[in-house]
Amino acid sequence: MTEDRYRRQTIVKEFGQKGQEMLAKKHVIVIGGGGLGSNSANLLVRMGIGSIDIVDNDTLDITNLHRTSLFTQEDLGKSKAFVLQEKLRTINTEVRVRGINQKVTKENIESLVKNADVIVDGTDSMSLRFIINEVSIKYNIPWVYAGVYETVGMVMGILPKKTPCLQCISQNIPESTSGEIPVLGSLPAIIASIQCTETIKLLLGKPLAGLLIYDVWNQCFDTMGIKRNLHCTICGIKKL
Amino acid sequence: MKITVRLFGRYKDITGKDQIKLDISAGNTLRDVVDTFVKQYPATEKDKSRMMVSKNKMYASFDTTIIESDEITLSPPVVSGG
Repeated sequence: MTEDRYRRQTIVKEFGQKGQEMLAKKHVIVIGGGGLGSNSANLLVRMGIGSIDIVDNDTLDITNLHRTSLFTQEDLGKSKAFVLQEKLRTINTEVRVRGINQKVTKENIESLVKNADVIVDGTDSMSLRFIINEVSIKYNIPWVYAGVYETVGMVMGILPKKTPCLQCISQNIPESTSGEIPVLGSLPAIIASIQCTETIKLLLGKPLAGLLIYDVWNQCFDTMGIKRNLHCTICGIKKL
Repeated sequence: MKITVRLFGRYKDITGKDQIKLDISAGNTLRDVVDTFVKQYPATEKDKSRMMVSKNKMYASFDTTIIESDEITLSPPVVSGG
């Protein structure tokens, strides 16, 4: 490990040299390489994660550029996963980066996530998030939900059977609506930054913050301390 | 019954408060809390069916019954974009 690279980070008392060394041994998978996934992957690679997979079967189009930071116009039409792989490898050669140009489904998710220490949510589909949630609980792999809509973003780190899962908080949430999701361009980078921090805290075994809600337009930040639903159909100990 | 409700996200901006008291005269469920809140603050109408409501720090369905001493929170729906 190049000591100079992380010097300004290892002197942060919450993190330290020990945190850096732990991080270098961890593997994460980022599902989705758009506004959230690309920004989170960028930060995790720069901060010194050991290895990272980024899974996305989409190609980059012009509507992605307003809320992402690594992609350029020259990347239009290319695989998001492969472009991220190429660019992230140039940012930090100490990190093993792998782009996987594949659609994540209920059938293949187990093989994709089985070696991950944490799953990072960069998808824009609620149904896929519920698949991630289920596999996370089944295999005891923590994950970090994040979502953005208009000017509001949410993040919640999920430690299976210890903290509330997505199903615990989602009793009134319908499936994703069809059509384009409105997102202010400045929002995903902030939410990804929060998501990346919660991911690192999970990797280092630090306590999570709960459900975080941030409105970038009104500059309003909330943390909700919440409990598990003991009757949750996915993670509950008293399943109905 | 008078219920104290803590607000999160943009609901604080809409109401100008982080905590409000709602008079739930008809019914005793979380749905009645949501209905009363939306009636008082019509700007929240679009969230009505998806609003996240917690009772005593646990998210709960709209049919959950409440009593005056319950700690209720309302927050905007979980967001899905990426």
